[in-house]
Amino acid sequence: MKKLVTVLALSAVTAASLAACGSNSDNNTNSANNGTDNGGKAASKITVWAWDPNFNIKAMNLAKDAYAATNKDLTVDIVENAQNDIVQKLNTGMSSGTTKGLPNIVLIEDYRAQSFLQAYPDMFYDLSSVIKSSDFADYKLGPTSVDGKNYGVPFDSGVAGLYVRTDYLEKAGYTIDDLQDITWDQYIEIGKKVKEATGKDWISLDPNDLGIIRMMIQSAGSWYLNEDGKTPNIANNAAMKEAFEVYKSMMDANIVKIHSDWSQFVANYNNGDAASVPTGNWFTPSITAEASQSGKWAVAPMPKLAKTPNSVHATNLGGSSWYVLNVPGKEQAAEFLKATLGSDVNLYQKLVTDVGAIGTYKPATTGEAYTAANEFFGGQKIVQDFAKWTNEIPSVNYGMHTYAIEDILVVEMQNYLNGKKIDDVLKDAQAQADSSVK
Amino acid sequence: MRNVLDRFKYNGLFVQMFIIMVVSIVAVSITATWTTMNVSSRVFMETFSITNSKIISQIRNGMDSFNYSIVLTSNKISQSGTIKQFLTEGSGDSSEMVGSYFQMGQQMNKIRSSVDAYEVGITVTGVNGRRYSTDRSYWPVPDDKLENHPITQRSLAEPRKLMYSYDDAESSGIPGIEPTIVASKTLVDRSGTVYGMVYFAVREPYFARFYNSNTSLGNDVAVIDKRGTIVSSNRNDWIGQRSPDLLRYAEEIEEKNLDYKNANIMGKDHLLLSEHISGLELYMVNVIDKKQVLGQLTDTKQITLIVMAIVAAAVIIVFLISRRLTKSLTRLVKQISTISKFEFDRHVKVDGSYETKQLGLAFNAMIDELNDYVSKLVETQKQQRNAELEALQQQINPHFLYNTLASVKFMVQQGNKEKAAETINALISLLQNAIGNVSEMITVQQELDNMKNYVFINQVRYGERIRVSYFIGPDCLNYRIPKLMIQPFIENAFFHAFNEKQEGYIYIMVAQEGTSLVCEVVDNGDGMNINGGIPKEVSKRQLFSGIGVRNVNDRIKLLFGEEYGVTITSEIGEGTRVKIRIPLLSSNNDPNF
Repeated sequence: MKKLVTVLALSAVTAASLAACGSNSDNNTNSANNGTDNGGKAASKITVWAWDPNFNIKAMNLAKDAYAATNKDLTVDIVENAQNDIVQKLNTGMSSGTTKGLPNIVLIEDYRAQSFLQAYPDMFYDLSSVIKSSDFADYKLGPTSVDGKNYGVPFDSGVAGLYVRTDYLEKAGYTIDDLQDITWDQYIEIGKKVKEATGKDWISLDPNDLGIIRMMIQSAGSWYLNEDGKTPNIANNAAMKEAFEVYKSMMDANIVKIHSDWSQFVANYNNGDAASVPTGNWFTPSITAEASQSGKWAVAPMPKLAKTPNSVHATNLGGSSWYVLNVPGKEQAAEFLKATLGSDVNLYQKLVTDVGAIGTYKPATTGEAYTAANEFFGGQKIVQDFAKWTNEIPSVNYGMHTYAIEDILVVEMQNYLNGKKIDDVLKDAQAQADSSVK
Repeated sequence: MRNVLDRFKYNGLFVQMFIIMVVSIVAVSITATWTTMNVSSRVFMETFSITNSKIISQIRNGMDSFNYSIVLTSNKISQSGTIKQFLTEGSGDSSEMVGSYFQMGQQMNKIRSSVDAYEVGITVTGVNGRRYSTDRSYWPVPDDKLENHPITQRSLAEPRKLMYSYDDAESSGIPGIEPTIVASKTLVDRSGTVYGMVYFAVREPYFARFYNSNTSLGNDVAVIDKRGTIVSSNRNDWIGQRSPDLLRYAEEIEEKNLDYKNANIMGKDHLLLSEHISGLELYMVNVIDKKQVLGQLTDTKQITLIVMAIVAAAVIIVFLISRRLTKSLTRLVKQISTISKFEFDRHVKVDGSYETKQLGLAFNAMIDELNDYVSKLVETQKQQRNAELEALQQQINPHFLYNTLASVKFMVQQGNKEKAAETINALISLLQNAIGNVSEMITVQQELDNMKNYVFINQVRYGERIRVSYFIGPDCLNYRIPKLMIQPFIENAFFHAFNEKQEGYIYIMVAQEGTSLVCEVVDNGDGMNINGGIPKEVSKRQLFSGIGVRNVNDRIKLLFGEEYGVTITSEIGEGTRVKIRIPLLSSNNDPNF
């Protein structure tokens, strides 16, 4: 997901950097407004920060339009910033204790959410009474809540599936049915056969991005950190141990194509050099970008860990949620989110059809857009499938240090691949993590 | 028009003074402004160019250290065995590959830290077709296009050299490429074999930060490469343009080691400062639009307005003051010019400044003296005239006495004693009245007696063919008239009116007419050919005294003024009418002069 975010953000870097100047001034005006509106008068304008104009910004604009149809008084100013900029600005603004220049609504990646919610508890507006948390996918509630209070409106689902080239499968004598409810070990076996039959690699991985490990352990309800979200959970993490073993056996099976950045990742599939992608649903547009492969793809449920008992065929990669900052205008912002992403089923249909964003709002999953068949994927109702898996994703606490620990794991993974014993690897990683996040 | 000319004439001094003042004020302010602006702009331009060349050196330092980081990084990359291996090895199995990619990633992460201070995207490509980018977004050239990219071609032509080039969607033909400055270098091993290429991509706006804070309106910076392409500028419309002119000027400044150069670019006067950033093989040219920069220094419009306001204020003050100074003078002049025409006795108003006051006083004194002198003169003339008249009056014509006495002699000889005595009586009272002060006024009654006596004597001498009738208003009898005023006209009528006609009448009428006393002597004699004038006296021998009709008129005018006097109307064959008009003078206000 780290790569995804980087790439998505940077693919729009032009617009983002160009918009930066403009948006800054907008923010300033807005904060000025906020300042003057302190006297209890309702704010007539709220500001939203998000990244990625093709996805998050587009989705927010749909919400804005939907809201404007019934509430003309509120101006919603959507400002695009690179994700790194948003993180930086939020950290700067919140640690200095000033709300000046901060937006009313901000998009935060789920992996990072806890680090903000816990570090700046007073800066976020409690939305427990605004949204009905049971209406959203359970796994989204962990990252967006602290101490049972809900601070975020869950947005896109990072629900993962296994995208696979059916034509290559067939050459190896398999069908998509053979990929339903399999384990990672089975996945590797099939991969070997496919490589034998077609000469194509089974999967493309970036050694510096352990998204696949994250997906595996979350399917078992485990994470880099314990439930408290603070202490690293590596050495005694059975799910992680198995995930590492699976990763190594993929390498050993010689079915992995290596890429170093997002372009190469996408290119490997668009060129037909790799046959399957276990990843988040947001990868769909990248697959469908290569029109010549229409009808050759299908989506299977995620494989699960064989030895870890509670592993399921559903997991998550990436995804983010909207948060309301505790600044003047928060009531209007909360009202806005409640009326749109918090309850508008039609909006969620539009998000699927216009943006390709699968939400985590349960009542929306029965809508028309969710049940539509996708011809690119041989008529499979992939949105419906993803929506179904969304509800099965185990909830974990991403905690505050996901990326810090991942940096350690990336190095240790190489040590493991180079022959270091798995227990030592995890023990060393645990030790490093303990010292680095304390 | 005439009025305006008049005014101009009266205000001549003021107008001249004012015009000279205004012209001086305007000239002084224009000269002062112009000089100040010129001097200040020259000084400003000089200090500006000095400051700017210092700033340029600073910028160059910034760019040099940027370049140094790039050079260091590229050296590290070319010295790294890991990278060389990654770029040259063939593909292996997944385990080897993952190790290789991981090592590459780790190595690049370490190396890129030397350029972390800058927003630089590093791309490394190898002969094995592998490509590693730290961040593709800076320069998103697709893998297949990179090999034949002009920048790659240029770098290959000059291996071992770090080259800075400009790239955008237009120049490379790849859509979606923003203006970017790319430093490229061929990776060559010791034997001289090319095994890869490294690219450092900086977005133009980021590169522009080196100098952007030092630019302002009219103070632009253009960074041009040695082919004349503007690779970076604070002016967005310049980026990517070819400008051989600028390059030529930059080279000239570099060659001749000039501080700055004045040049006409794009039809405007510019000041050019240039610095060759040798490491980057780029010229940084500071293009200063003189007019605009100076326009900021000296807001010509505002200065003009201020100067105009000051001039206007000065002119108004000058107007008021000089107006005040000259106004009293002008008024004085005006008064004097009217006085000289009509009245001698009117004084001018003494006011205004000290000088005008003195002038007015002097003038008044002069007028007074003149008045004195004139009245004395008039008085003298009057006295002279009176003396003359008196002399005339006292000259009772000897012929008259002789003739009268001759008539009396005949009467006595004829034995007509009574008539002779009567005539002698008449002559006596006539002489009694006539001889005496000529200025004496007598009543109409007395004059009437005189006339009757005179007429009686004449009738004695010449018979009674001319009859005389008196019509005297009884209310007039007590008014006073100058002595011998009417007598000369009766005399005139007697001797001139009846030469052709043998007999006729003379009527004497005295009446009050408003505030005037009118005496008329009307005859029905021959009449004469006159036009209101007074006829010449003809024969002195028949006259009673030296006073003739002409004298009467002169005397009345002298005594009573121009509106009084004698008018005579006459028609041939009908007679003559003499009309004497004098003011009503009652007996008790005798103007005794």
